[in-house]
Amino acid sequence: MIDALIIGAGPAGLSAAIACAKQGLSVRIVDEFYRAGGRLLGQLHQEPNGTWWNGMEEAARLDREARAAGVEIACGVSVFNVVPSSSGWIASTTEGEIETSLLLIATGASETAVPVPGWTLPGVMSIGAAQVMTNVQRVRVGERGVIIGVNILSVAIARELQLAGIQIDRMILPPVSTVTGKAGFPEAVMRSLLRVAHLAPSPLIRWGSQLMKSSWMQRLGVSLYPSQGFSMWDIPIQLRTAALEIVGTNQVEGVRIARVAPDGQPIPGSEQIIPADFVCIAGGLSPLAELAAIAGCPFAYVPSLGGHVPIHNDRMQTPLPGLFVAGNITGVESAKVAMAQGIVAGLSMADAHGALADSAELENAIRQVGIVRQRATIQFHPDIDEGRATVGQLALASTGK
Amino acid sequence: MMDAHQLIVCRCEEVSLAELLETAEAYQCSARELKLRTRAGMGCCGGRTCRMLVDQVIEQATGHSPSHTIPLGYQPPVRPISFQTLGGRNR
Ligand SMILES: Cc1cc2nc3c(=O)[nH]c(=O)nc-3n(C[C@H](O)[C@H](O)[C@H](O)COP(=O)(O)OP(=O)(O)OC[C@H]3O[C@@H](n4cnc5c(N)ncnc54)[C@H](O)[C@@H]3O)c2cc1C
Repeated sequence: MIDALIIGAGPAGLSAAIACAKQGLSVRIVDEFYRAGGRLLGQLHQEPNGTWWNGMEEAARLDREARAAGVEIACGVSVFNVVPSSSGWIASTTEGEIETSLLLIATGASETAVPVPGWTLPGVMSIGAAQVMTNVQRVRVGERGVIIGVNILSVAIARELQLAGIQIDRMILPPVSTVTGKAGFPEAVMRSLLRVAHLAPSPLIRWGSQLMKSSWMQRLGVSLYPSQGFSMWDIPIQLRTAALEIVGTNQVEGVRIARVAPDGQPIPGSEQIIPADFVCIAGGLSPLAELAAIAGCPFAYVPSLGGHVPIHNDRMQTPLPGLFVAGNITGVESAKVAMAQGIVAGLSMADAHGALADSAELENAIRQVGIVRQRATIQFHPDIDEGRATVGQLALASTGK
Repeated sequence: MMDAHQLIVCRCEEVSLAELLETAEAYQCSARELKLRTRAGMGCCGGRTCRMLVDQVIEQATGHSPSHTIPLGYQPPVRPISFQTLGGRNR
């Protein structure tokens, strides 16, 4: 029996492990990937102040600190079930059962699929898969590709692929359908890009965001939008073009595209096939909540946080005794927020264990999450604060005991 | 134009968008019932890819927006595992 088991060696899990191991708890982390770091491993981007965020280095630093603090890290181990026990929790893993008094689920987020005709052809992958292959495994995903789905994540990863010498022919929208949601509507995509535009490196988008505060201006914006789109780092971003179908016999050979009206409907006669040997589909992220769900944790549906999130308070405690959550499972935000949340969860677990030396440390860590959130350079949704408040209220209501 | 019949939504069980839409329209059912009727989400990946899409089809067909409860429940094991592991003999 250990004091704390942490599922997920991403920035949240590693930071939590360091924080609670330093308070004297025996801590083990398990992660199903062969290497610690989670989504940090693929991250490489330039911050608005010009410095680079190198996730690989951050992951190595956290891994070193955790091991130095006495944390046991087991990679290549999947957790497939968690159940409460008389003295805590039992996790079933591919390496056997682990008994623990406290459990932290820090499993991150998963990508949302966007089905496009032809998406089952070899050579089609999610944008996150392309990121991992390029930055972690150093495998060339192709020579010339098309990215379907325009959002903050896909724009950031397009740049990473380009830095690795891979040509991105263009970024376009998925076709409008029941299963593509708002991602196929030029207006909605433009609006969501503009809301995070203060972070964008492109002066055009930044300028556009000043101009288009009202919805009629946005509509005008999309219809006046240059038909060739605009470019960021020379990658054409075409909000008035959609992929109708990915074509190829045994693998991706190209994409059938069409110009679309501001409502996403294809303009007749504008179809053409562009050559490509790989396609990335980018549908956004949602919290990976499966283990919290089978643990029996109550949930909140909060679109600004990415969907269903386990209810938790600002100490990252769920209503279930001994169960904690941190990182993207609580809402999709940047790696720095995940780290700050991890520290809170770690200290909070130490507190639950009666081992927290100074409770002011926990209070400070909670404040720090808010500060990091305000300064975040990558923001996945403009209404994160409201979403967080909703979850906080539900947590208060659920702990009437 | 996009042909809904050709578009596979659940890749493990090869369920098309048309099949999902027609079933959802006909039965005006829950996401769970749609899963049981079509097998979408019941393949070896455990619905990791199409779970959200099944929810979206139901949202569109019934007009019900998602509630705080997760529409399609999760059951262990949440990863594909061998019988050996399931039986507790994993080495
Ligand atoms: C494709 C992608 C790209 C991103 N790019 C950026 C970016 O450029 N900048 C940025 O700030 N944020 C980015 N993010 C957001 C990112 O999720 C956060 O930055 C951060 O990594 C979240 O940290 P986390 O610790 O919560 O989860 P993660 O970093 O996702 O780590 C979760 C870990 O849990 C493990 N795990 C999950 N389930 C199980 C299980 N059942 N058993 C065992 N292990 C399990 C996973 O293997 C993973 O290592 C990206 C997210 C994704 C999905």
